[in-house]
Amino acid sequence: MKLALSTVYCPHRFSNLFRPSVFTALWSPICSSELSSYSPTYVKPQFHVPLFLRPPIYSAKLCDLRKWRDWAEGVASSIGSSFVQSDNGPDSSILCRELKWLIEDVVEDHSQFPQTGLENGDDDDMRVKMRANLEELYGLWKQRITERRPFQYIVGCEHWRDLVLSVQEGVLIPRPETELIVDFVCDVVSNNEDLKRGMWADLGTGSGAIAIGIGRVLENAGRVIATDLSPVAVSVAGYNVQRYCLKEKIEIKEGSWFEPLKDMEGRLAGLVSNPPYIPSKDISGLQAEVGRHEPRVALDGGIDGMDALFHLCDGAALFLKPGGFFAFETNGEQQCRTLVEYMENNRGGSLHNFEIRSDFAGIQRFVIGFHK
Amino acid sequence: MIKRHQCSFFFFLIRMAHRILLFICKPIFHLPLRIFASHSYSLPFSQSQSLLPPLTTTPYSLPFSQSKSLLPPLTTATRNRINNRLWCSTTVDATTEDVSKRYLELTDDELMRQCEMGTFRTSGPGGQHRNKRDTAVRLKHLPTGIVAQASEDRSQHKNRASALKRLRARIALKLRKTVDLEAYSPPRELLQILPPKSSIRGSDCGPQIGPNNPKFLLGMQALLDLIFAVEGSVSDAAKYLGLSTGALSRLILSDDSLRMEVNELRASKGMKPLK
Repeated sequence: MKLALSTVYCPHRFSNLFRPSVFTALWSPICSSELSSYSPTYVKPQFHVPLFLRPPIYSAKLCDLRKWRDWAEGVASSIGSSFVQSDNGPDSSILCRELKWLIEDVVEDHSQFPQTGLENGDDDDMRVKMRANLEELYGLWKQRITERRPFQYIVGCEHWRDLVLSVQEGVLIPRPETELIVDFVCDVVSNNEDLKRGMWADLGTGSGAIAIGIGRVLENAGRVIATDLSPVAVSVAGYNVQRYCLKEKIEIKEGSWFEPLKDMEGRLAGLVSNPPYIPSKDISGLQAEVGRHEPRVALDGGIDGMDALFHLCDGAALFLKPGGFFAFETNGEQQCRTLVEYMENNRGGSLHNFEIRSDFAGIQRFVIGFHK
Repeated sequence: MIKRHQCSFFFFLIRMAHRILLFICKPIFHLPLRIFASHSYSLPFSQSQSLLPPLTTTPYSLPFSQSKSLLPPLTTATRNRINNRLWCSTTVDATTEDVSKRYLELTDDELMRQCEMGTFRTSGPGGQHRNKRDTAVRLKHLPTGIVAQASEDRSQHKNRASALKRLRARIALKLRKTVDLEAYSPPRELLQILPPKSSIRGSDCGPQIGPNNPKFLLGMQALLDLIFAVEGSVSDAAKYLGLSTGALSRLILSDDSLRMEVNELRASKGMKPLK
C-alpha cells in the first residue's frame, strides 16, 4: 500500500532514491552554507525537498498569484463543513489557514506580504519570486481538496516544536501531542546528569521528530539511536538529522523496533516511542488525510492497537539500564490503563513508578516510568 | 499610609478582605470590589474581568485580523488543568507585598506553573487519528484570571511561548498597584525606561530600555501605576518623572499596548486620547 501511494505522488522509485551514499552527498545540513548554493538538477529524481527549501527559480505576476489564491480560497470555501461531516476532516476555515501557510512557503520574500494577503503590493505586474510555478500550485491545491492529500505532504514539511521537519508520503506526520514526550525527557534529564549523558532510543522514529527533539536536550556525551522499519522513514529522518547538524549525536538504523539494538541490553538510559496504536477496525473510518495517505504501518496497532505497545514494554524491561526512563504515546485512557496494568502484572519486577500523563487537550495520552 | 486616614482600621479591614478574596477566590469577584480599586491590586477594566473574553475582542488573541474567522469557535476550546508536575498550579502567597511585580519576575517555568493551559480541539480521540494542526494555545493565569493566547504559529510549542510572552505583557498592563503620591519616588525599573533627559533619572540607570526589551514590562507596569494614580493626566505624571508632558507622551506612544491602556483609562475619565 505504501508503494502504491508513493507511486501516485512520487514518480520515481524509492529503491533508487535513498541509497545512503547518494543521500549524504546531496543533503547539506541547515547550518552549512551549501544549502543556498545547491543545484536543483540533483534533486529531481531523488527526494521530496520541502517546498520552503527549494530554490526560488520561478516567478509570477502578482495579479496571477492573486488569481490563484482567490481560486484556491473559493475551492476551500465551497467545501464548507462537508469533510467534517463525512470523516471529521478539515472545514473551509482550516483549509484557508493552510492556504495561507502554503503561500508563506512558496513565495520567496514573504516579508513583502506581512499579512499573507498579497494585498500590499499595488503593482499588479510586479513579479514575485516563487519556489514552485503557478501550474504546480494549481495542481497541489487540487490534490489537497479532491484527493485529500495532507497539507504537510503538499508542502513537504511539518512545524513541530521549534523544528521544521521534512515529511513525505511513507512517513507519519508528527502530531502536536507528541511534542510533550520531549518535555518529559527534558524534565527527567534536568536533574539527572547520568541520564543526560546516556544512550537513548526512539523506536519507530518516522520523520525523526522525537529523536531530534531529545538530541537537542541531551548533553554532548548523550546519544540517540533512532530505528524504523521503513527505508523511506530512515532516509527522511536522516535528512532531518543532518539539517539540524545532529549526525554525531543521532544514529538512524533500519529495522523493526529493538532489532537494530541487539548489543544494547541493559544499557539504554531512556526509551521513547510513538508506536502505531490505532485498533485495526478503526483504520477504515479515519479522516481521509490520515487513512488514505499516511503509512498504515505507522498507524495500525493490531486488534486492540496494543501490539507494538506491549512489545515496547517487554523491551523496556530488557534494554533499559537501572534508573532508565521510558515514555510511550497511546491511543488514550483505556490503552494507558491497560498498559500500566500489564506492566504491573508482568514487568513489575524490573519497571516501576508508572505514571499516566495527559496531552494538552486533556486526553490521557502517555505512559511514563522507570527501570528499577 | 494608613495612618493618614481617620478611619484607618476600617480601610485596613477592607484591604485585607479584598486581598484574600482576590487571591483565593475566583477572579469574577473583582467586579463587586471595584470601588476599592485605588486601594489595592485590581483589574481596572471590566473587559479583563470576564474569565474568557471573546476571541475577537482581545487585542492579544490574533495578530492577523483576517485569521479571526479562521479559528474554531471558542466553544470547542477545552480548558484543562494538566495534572502533572510541569503544569500544575501553585498557590500564591497573598501576604507578599509586591505580588504583581513578582509575577513578572518569575521564570517562564514558574509562571507556567501558575497557569492553566488549554488547546482547541474538536471531538474525537486526537493523536494519530487526526490531521488538523490545531495548534492554538490559551493560557489562563490562575491567580489573576488574566488570559493570553496565541494561534499564529504552525507549532503548538511556539504558540505556547508566544502566549506566555503575551501573558507577561497583559499582567503588566492589567495588574495595578496603589501609589502613594505624596511620598512618590519612581522605582528603578521605571527610571530605566525613561528618556535620558528626565531630570530625576540618574546616570546609574544605564541606557534607556526600549519596548523591545523584556525588562520594559516592569517599567511599563510602574508607569501605569503612576498614571492610574494621577487619573490619566499625562502632565501630572510627567511632573513626578521629571519630564515634559511631550516627552512622556512620546514614551507612552512608543508602545502600542501601553498607549491603548492609557487611552482606555483616559476615555473612562472623559479625557481625549493621546495620539
